Amino acid sequence: MSRVFDELTNFARARSLFILHYCTGCGAIELPPVMTSRFDMERLGVSPMVTPRQADILLVTGYVSIKTLKRVMLTYEQMGSPKYVIGICSCTVNGGMYWQSYATAKRLDEYMPVDLYIAGCMPRPEAVISGLRELMKKIEQGEANSWKEYYRNYDYYLGNQQHLFGDQWQTPVDVIGEAEHYGLVGDGTRGEHTALLEQVQHPLKPLEMRL
Amino acid sequence: MNMDAFTPWLDALCGRIDGMVVACSDLAQRRSRIDLPSEELTTLLEAAKGEMGFVHLSAISCVDWIEEGEFELVYHLWSYEQNQLLSIHIRVARDLGRFQSVYDLYRPAGFFERDIHEMYGLYFEGAPDMEKFILTEWNGPPPMRKDFDSEAFVGETFDWQQYNPEWLQEIVAAGGGVVVPPTEQRFSQRKKVDGPDWSGDHPQAKRGQE
Repeated sequence: MSRVFDELTNFARARSLFILHYCTGCGAIELPPVMTSRFDMERLGVSPMVTPRQADILLVTGYVSIKTLKRVMLTYEQMGSPKYVIGICSCTVNGGMYWQSYATAKRLDEYMPVDLYIAGCMPRPEAVISGLRELMKKIEQGEANSWKEYYRNYDYYLGNQQHLFGDQWQTPVDVIGEAEHYGLVGDGTRGEHTALLEQVQHPLKPLEMRL
Repeated sequence: MNMDAFTPWLDALCGRIDGMVVACSDLAQRRSRIDLPSEELTTLLEAAKGEMGFVHLSAISCVDWIEEGEFELVYHLWSYEQNQLLSIHIRVARDLGRFQSVYDLYRPAGFFERDIHEMYGLYFEGAPDMEKFILTEWNGPPPMRKDFDSEAFVGETFDWQQYNPEWLQEIVAAGGGVVVPPTEQRFSQRKKVDGPDWSGDHPQAKRGQE
């Protein structure tokens, strides 16, 4: 009975996807035609969303500089599960044409689990649509579980983030607490990097409101 | 003040400032290049701003001449009265790594100098703020210096992933595609492309020898 229910949930999830309207790099230029009347992604049930907390898909559309990656990480951790990450363009695969640059991160999947890559420099809207269909198929079959990987292997991802951002790196999201909430604590959830995080972590204060 | 005043002013200035070299071109009549010893920079800037209305400092650019041990600073000035562009080139010793700020003459210089300090490590004395500007996450050496090896830094800091799908293997087997992995693609290690040999008996090379 629960399997039937899961299938129904997956079916529904695959047909109501909200893409977070957050774009990095140059691949974002291919998204307006995907959204608007020519390629019309809304016929697949995919539509743009303005806030990370209400979005399902994080599209990383091109190179992420180390500065941008910080913001991408903050955005990713704010999204509610289940969440899916699509890396568009060659830059998210291996740095693309910026492979020599000191300022850009090379592999996106070192810092967050990626469900699907759409390679190309840049991929055409047809490729983006076909990638979205591929993701829908994976969700329907229950294979798009990369967000669970983030909880199970949090230590690995946090270690890579600390490597770039320094040891003082912390986010407002309590990822280990969320992992316990979802029952997804694995062998890789805690480790030396999370221990370092607990040492340097200081409690977040509310922002001062000022006119 | 009319536009014809500029050339005589420039000629008179050569007499006032030692070591100043002016280069103008017939092709670009509104551009002049001035080469100058670095200690005369403030004198020239004050004269240009006060006498000819060069009020707009549009950029300060920096070039790292590592073999000569010098930084070249280029101050780009524009005058709305003369419609003239002045490029003032000075050289600063690379080892010293310090120079004076022109913030008191031109306020925008604060940003340009902060940027140069971040990218080249050249400290400007008298500038209001020499903190990090764009590279807020950066802890390494100034990255635009010629002795900073970006490729080596990337090799140490980042990992590569294997990306070799079947469709790419087919293309490579047919003689296409990229077969050089990124680690072997360093420009410094790459072989020179075959082309005409300019070192031998080329007419231009001969002219240089005579």
